[in-house]
Amino acid sequence: MYAELFTWWAISISCGIVFLIVVSIYLYMSRKVGKDASQQNGPGRLVKDFFFVWVLLGLLVLYIVSISMGSAVLFAAGNILFEAILIIYLIRNRVKSQRRLNNKHP
Amino acid sequence: MKEQKTELVRKDFWSIEPADLYRSLETSEGGLSEQEAERRLKTYGYNELPRQTAGWAQVFIRQLKNPIFIILVVASIVAGFFSQLEQSISILSMIALSVILGFYNEYKAEKIVENLRKSVSFKAVVSRGGKPSEIDSMMVVPGDVVSVYVGDIIPADIRLVDSKELQVNESVLTGESFPVEKIPDKMELKNPSSQEMTNYLFMGTVVANGSGRGVVVSTGRHTEFGSISKSLMRLHPETEFQKGIKNYGTMLFTLTIALSIGIFVVNALVGHPLIDSLLFSLAVAIGLVPELMPAIVTISLSQGAGRMSKVRVIVKRLVSIEDFGNMDVLCTDKTGTLTQGKILLHDYHSFDEVKEPRLLTYSLLCNNAIVGEKIAGSPMDVAIWNYALENKKQEDISSYTKVDDVPFDYRRRIMSTVVSKDGKYILISKGAPESIIPRCTYVEIKGNHEPIGTVLESINNKISDLSKLGYRVLVVACRSVDYKESYSAKDEEGLTMLGFLVFTDPVKKDVHQVLANLKEMGVDVKIVTGDNELVAKKICEDINVPVKRIVLGSELTQMSSAEIKKAVEEVTIFARITPEQKLDVIKALRDNGHVVGFIGDGVNDAPALYEADVGISVDTAVDVAKDAADIVLLEKDLKVLSDGIKEGRKVFGNTTKYILMGTSSNFGNMFSAAAASVFLPFLPMLPMQILFMNLLYDIANMTLPTDNVDEEDIRLPKHWDIGFVRKFTLFFGPFSSLYDFLTFGIMLFVFGASPALFQTGWFVESFWTEVLVIFVIRTGRVPFLSSRPGKWLTLLTLSCIVIGTIVPFTVVGKFLGFAPSLPAQYWVLLVLMVATYLLLVDAGKVFFYRICKLRGDD
Repeated sequence: MYAELFTWWAISISCGIVFLIVVSIYLYMSRKVGKDASQQNGPGRLVKDFFFVWVLLGLLVLYIVSISMGSAVLFAAGNILFEAILIIYLIRNRVKSQRRLNNKHP
Repeated sequence: MKEQKTELVRKDFWSIEPADLYRSLETSEGGLSEQEAERRLKTYGYNELPRQTAGWAQVFIRQLKNPIFIILVVASIVAGFFSQLEQSISILSMIALSVILGFYNEYKAEKIVENLRKSVSFKAVVSRGGKPSEIDSMMVVPGDVVSVYVGDIIPADIRLVDSKELQVNESVLTGESFPVEKIPDKMELKNPSSQEMTNYLFMGTVVANGSGRGVVVSTGRHTEFGSISKSLMRLHPETEFQKGIKNYGTMLFTLTIALSIGIFVVNALVGHPLIDSLLFSLAVAIGLVPELMPAIVTISLSQGAGRMSKVRVIVKRLVSIEDFGNMDVLCTDKTGTLTQGKILLHDYHSFDEVKEPRLLTYSLLCNNAIVGEKIAGSPMDVAIWNYALENKKQEDISSYTKVDDVPFDYRRRIMSTVVSKDGKYILISKGAPESIIPRCTYVEIKGNHEPIGTVLESINNKISDLSKLGYRVLVVACRSVDYKESYSAKDEEGLTMLGFLVFTDPVKKDVHQVLANLKEMGVDVKIVTGDNELVAKKICEDINVPVKRIVLGSELTQMSSAEIKKAVEEVTIFARITPEQKLDVIKALRDNGHVVGFIGDGVNDAPALYEADVGISVDTAVDVAKDAADIVLLEKDLKVLSDGIKEGRKVFGNTTKYILMGTSSNFGNMFSAAAASVFLPFLPMLPMQILFMNLLYDIANMTLPTDNVDEEDIRLPKHWDIGFVRKFTLFFGPFSSLYDFLTFGIMLFVFGASPALFQTGWFVESFWTEVLVIFVIRTGRVPFLSSRPGKWLTLLTLSCIVIGTIVPFTVVGKFLGFAPSLPAQYWVLLVLMVATYLLLVDAGKVFFYRICKLRGDD
């Protein structure tokens, strides 16, 4: 019904994600650098730090593909997969934060 | 009563004899007649100081001085103009609600302090028509003959004509805690400073010992006390929080105007009907404006004020609570704030440092304090008695019989008592070292009498060292005398010095702990005092405050503004500081970006109390200081300071949450609406639907002031940072927009939705994400698991979700233009989509707070 709008829609949502990534890079570049920053730099660190960006890019692909196919099932399954990934990431991060907090306040 | 006459003809009353004084002031020893007093009251006005009282109109206007109000009023007028009467009324109701709330709370707080102030009015003993009577000090007029006694607060500026051992504590004017002696003798000085005027009593100072009688020379604002309070009659400087809110309002105003115009123009250009485009852009503008902002701020502040009053802290100016929490430098006076403001016997010892019991016994014998239920008299005599009673040493004097006294007088600065014991007569003298030492021939060292000349230098050095450390020293001496009928000052010769009495104004018991707590909370303490640097340094040592640098008032005078700004960062103690220099210090700290608190209780502290972001005073402070303060501690217990700071930080935390949510998720939604309206052939959401969502969202936010605040948000002072708000909006706003666009895609390309279905689907998604994200954004931690939201916030938010999900499918929903139902499959996708959105925002938080360290908490 609105097939002619799909390209506009895909461009808009992609632009939104690109904008978010640009903002993230800007924030990352202007962050306060800690004492041990030199040891932590490197591609491994970047992959870890920008984890949510990789998820975001993955979600973009999922959303564009599933919606272009009009597949609610693919959309749902993909969401569940990414939710599981995000939950694992957040739990691991919570454990790390808790450990840091405990070290700060014995 | 209007004041008609402001100045008396002559002012040099200190340099004339009492007879001339009576003549000059057209009065007599018996005082004024009642008729004349009444006439003068009409001429000179009431004996009161101009006060910064806030009338209801002033408090009301204060509520309206906010750019957000202007946006809201304009929005409501425009809505009303375009037949959106319901919206116009609802916005106006919001404004009225927040104005009433703010007005009620702030006016109530003003009244509490006003009543407090009334309760501290005092009386004066005045001779009228030859008879002494007690009248309200407000009624005292120039020419009145006033009598003052121990404990009296001097009601006006008075030229003494008679005195008996009169000592006055002028710390409220000069900062000096030790009393000064007052004598009626005329002075030959040409232009004496108030400290040099020994025959003057100044309004607001307190009689510490003796009694006196004098003629009132000036009242009200013409007194020395009044001249200081005059400098307070200016507007209170804007607090950091007020400035922040103003900047935020301006930023929002610009953004809203720009976006609304843009939406209107683009919608009109793409062919949407003009009136629809206008209403849509108006609805988006209203959606963008956090209209509850003033209400949220006021509710947060007044709830904080309520909680603070439970710990006996009265908040006079609500807005100062936030600055109280964000305060990172606390400047404090010494006397009465860090110290108890009362004199105690610190030590007594002989020249060779032996705690000789006879020294205390003799000091009790040579003592004029009146010991009854209360001990009254000279502060030092009282201090000796208090020490003896506390240490159960008073019985040592029972074996002595008092024979005669040689009273104290201010010329010799000695008092003596002759006592007898076992048939022997002893003359005991006690007094100022410089007066008594020249009368001593010997000094007692290890029980032997040594000629004083051999150790005179050491004695003087010892006294000098003690004085430099802020101690007041008296010397006790004695000699055997023969019995005679009466003794005189001539007998005070050939004495043997027994030792020293060392007095102090001790630090408060809880100060050490309070300052340690403040340091832990990120509040740097600086001492700003009129006392000398050694005294202040000693206090710092006593309370464990490390001294980085000391600057004297004389040095400050030589410094440029830039140098002062640099110095204030390094200096711990500002000593020998005038009230004006206290202002310079506070201004410099504020210019350097600090949120500055000042705590003080004297008249000389009042200008600084006004200048500081947060002026803190105590209930026992002079009226003018309480007047100037934003916060009044009903109990002189500094422990409540840290409670108050925590309360302030909670208020700031919850206000910031509202702002962050408003400028991120709310902004994201409105941006999506604006963008979608450009490429869609219909409006993505009807104006009424936007306003309905906005109303529900605001209701959900109403309980934000009761929300819990994470520990890291109250651990250290936070500063209003518009840059942070911008970064937060730039980062979190797009998340919301992305999921809005995702919903557009699903509705258009999966469900091939009609305009009504599209609008309904997006309304539900948009509302869920907008409201539920409150739980994620309200904390830097993992929502629910490591940071629990307040129960009222949880309850109200979830209730709003239920309402927002049900109402579109009711009669009201039909009226608002919603579709009768949504496909079942959409609900499944919606739940999954919203869950992914919330998890993604939480992962974004890890990036924003922990990796980019944008809050500095981690």
